[in-house]
Amino acid sequence: MKQTFKLSASIGCALLVSTVGVSAETFRWASTTDPQTMDPHAVNSAPVLSFLNNIYEGLVRRGQDMSIEPSLAASWEPLVGENGWRFNLRQGVTFQNGATFDAQDVMFSYQRASNEAADVRSWFAPVADVRVVDDYTIDFVTTAPNPLFPDSIANFMILDQDWAESNDAALPARDAENFATMNVNGTGPFTLASRDPGVRTVLTPNGDWWDDATHNVTQAIFTPIGNSATGLAALLSGEIDFIQPIPLQDVAQVEGRDGFKVLEGEETRVIMFGFGHEHEKLLYSSDVTDANPFTDPRVRLAAAHAIDIASIDRVLFRGKIEPASQLVPAGISGYSEANSERPAYDPARAKALLAEAGYPNGFSFGLKCPNDRYINDEAVCRAAASMFAAVGLNATLSTGPVRDYWPQLRADDFDMYLLGWSPGTFDMEHPIRFLLNSQNDEKKLGSWNFGNYSNARVDELLPQIQQEIDPAARQALVDEVVSITQDEVAYIPLYTQPLIWAAKDNIELTQRADNFFMLRWVNVN
Amino acid sequence: MLAVAFLAFSLFRFVGDPITQMTGVETSVEDQERLREELGLNDPFAFQFLRFSGDMIQGDFGFSYRTRQPVAEMIASRVPATLELGVVALLISLAVGIPFGVYTALRPRGILTQTILLTSLVGVSVPTFVIGIILIFLFGVQLGWLPTFGRGGTVQIGGWESSFFTIDGWRALILPAFTLGVYQLTLTMRLVRAEMMEVMRSDYIRFATARGVPMGRLYFRHALANTMVPVITIIGLQFGGVIAFSIVTESVFQWPGMGLLFLESIRFVDIPVMGVYLVVIAFFFVLVNLIVDLLYVAIDPRLRVK
Repeated sequence: MKQTFKLSASIGCALLVSTVGVSAETFRWASTTDPQTMDPHAVNSAPVLSFLNNIYEGLVRRGQDMSIEPSLAASWEPLVGENGWRFNLRQGVTFQNGATFDAQDVMFSYQRASNEAADVRSWFAPVADVRVVDDYTIDFVTTAPNPLFPDSIANFMILDQDWAESNDAALPARDAENFATMNVNGTGPFTLASRDPGVRTVLTPNGDWWDDATHNVTQAIFTPIGNSATGLAALLSGEIDFIQPIPLQDVAQVEGRDGFKVLEGEETRVIMFGFGHEHEKLLYSSDVTDANPFTDPRVRLAAAHAIDIASIDRVLFRGKIEPASQLVPAGISGYSEANSERPAYDPARAKALLAEAGYPNGFSFGLKCPNDRYINDEAVCRAAASMFAAVGLNATLSTGPVRDYWPQLRADDFDMYLLGWSPGTFDMEHPIRFLLNSQNDEKKLGSWNFGNYSNARVDELLPQIQQEIDPAARQALVDEVVSITQDEVAYIPLYTQPLIWAAKDNIELTQRADNFFMLRWVNVN
Repeated sequence: MLAVAFLAFSLFRFVGDPITQMTGVETSVEDQERLREELGLNDPFAFQFLRFSGDMIQGDFGFSYRTRQPVAEMIASRVPATLELGVVALLISLAVGIPFGVYTALRPRGILTQTILLTSLVGVSVPTFVIGIILIFLFGVQLGWLPTFGRGGTVQIGGWESSFFTIDGWRALILPAFTLGVYQLTLTMRLVRAEMMEVMRSDYIRFATARGVPMGRLYFRHALANTMVPVITIIGLQFGGVIAFSIVTESVFQWPGMGLLFLESIRFVDIPVMGVYLVVIAFFFVLVNLIVDLLYVAIDPRLRVK
């Protein structure tokens, strides 16, 4: 049987080679989403930033282990006498059209990316001023000490000023497309050979790249494949070399065949339950209609003790998730080692806590979940609902696609909800700013804190964490926030989502924890 | 078509919020609101609809929320893929369906007839995407004969990107066209069979048989031609459906046609693209009905005599 398969597979390959003419280093890959634009400042979304990191570069970049390393800036140091950072730019770098890279291009890119028309402008909220010191030196002045600023701009990509201005692309496209939506001119390892949005995008190596190429790809062809069964078939039939991601249930299919491998890692995304902390009453309860029991930390703790993460892992994830104790996984900077315990699965204690809070028979409430956002999101909610029911918390589950889900959460239409969070800066400060700080539109804080969890001490600690230079002192501040929010059960962190990619055996690549796929680490053997 | 535009447009209010899809997680609420204002999403429904249909009548189809490309251009670039797929699917269904229908009508008790009829039940009852996936795994993965996704080699002729001129293009076309055509095929076959059996019982056929008209001429010139009028009506109307519902097949085969574009647009709440797509599909339906009416005249001489 296996022999026949190999035989037919080799015939298939032979057909492919004869008709398409694939050379050895052509690399074909697929993912579920097509990058919407080739403009690095127009959209702040992972598919776009991940793809464009192959073409454009930032002042700094992330290595295979997510660490920050020099890119277009050869080095950087804190400014003396004021808050901010000085970047010493790399000399002799050229854009793909041959133009020289210098500080004016960084200045221009900053102005472009921080403009109202740019979706990435939130990265520059802490910036007070940018000064070009000389052709290869530029200062970013921040409003307060900002030790993490270089880390936070790893995806801030640099465009050539002359190219953008002469092609009427000085600002990112807002409604109509512009030249930069479909064309590129970066400094990175690859350049765009052709693009047919939603169908096929071809990249070729940039021969003049300043860094040493460690890949052996001569042509890379990207195809978005939205349907996961189609994607899997394309991999198994040999038409593509690599796909990200594949569904959990297909892992066995791929592993069971010769010539293919599954790459597994932990994503940085923590899945959690959130509460309507400021809601005065439950919206979806049949028995408690005049109060919101979840405002009582004992009730929230009871809910946490009701969850059996080990069973969810075994049954729904085939042992591939990592239980989470806080809003970032271990390994992310700022992770609080001191608070790495999560509430144990203990239904008896959950019932006792509910009785103590005045709900010995439990109560009913509404649980909202997306069904197309996270891996197994709906199944996790179903499992959790039955675990809640076992201690008397009767959840009425309602699920929906994510395009409806966020508006519902923003409209406070929930009693409890599921949320996943990946720290964009790979630091604990990120979820504190977006999920734990009180909602504050003016300061742009707590914008994803749907239930408006609010603790004055946490709000006070956030600016200190953002400004503290000394790592040990900073960690102490973070530890305090984690400890407070664990004691008050601001959220119930559940687990870290797995990251599953699949490739042919002859493909060497690096799976980075942010789910970005970098062509410069690909080798076709 | 205006009615379709209106219906579609009123439904879009329930598909979700485009703003949360257009912006990243870090975008502030303030910036989101500004974008919402710029796109006119805060305007009253009637106003939004008038602007949408007004622009469309003037030939301005707007820009996609997702890619910022002009919608007219996006849809136009996807039309050839869908039309070619639909036409080939239709041809397969006719080329196979009509002979099978005739055969099963003439030999109602043959073993082959029973086999064909039984198999055709599968074609009607199994959902399109299941057929598609089975075909992919059989011919694409296990046997490795045919590509599993996309259009393969295409040739640009004017503004029309065609699969018809390369072997690769045809290879990529077979599975999706068959998948899309299967339902049509069984429908055509059963329809031809039923009509044919009806006609064969009629007086003029008996008469012709008695007069000794050769069998081939009898079956195809006299009987089949008379079965074609209702068949063409149904098939014609179905063709509009083939184009409209190629969404599923296009998704399974990652076929870059209008249906796939529509699906991507729903996921992204890309309202301008969805609106224009539905209006274009309505246009196709109208066009197909017109063609069917004209075909009647060509086939049925009675309609030409006035």
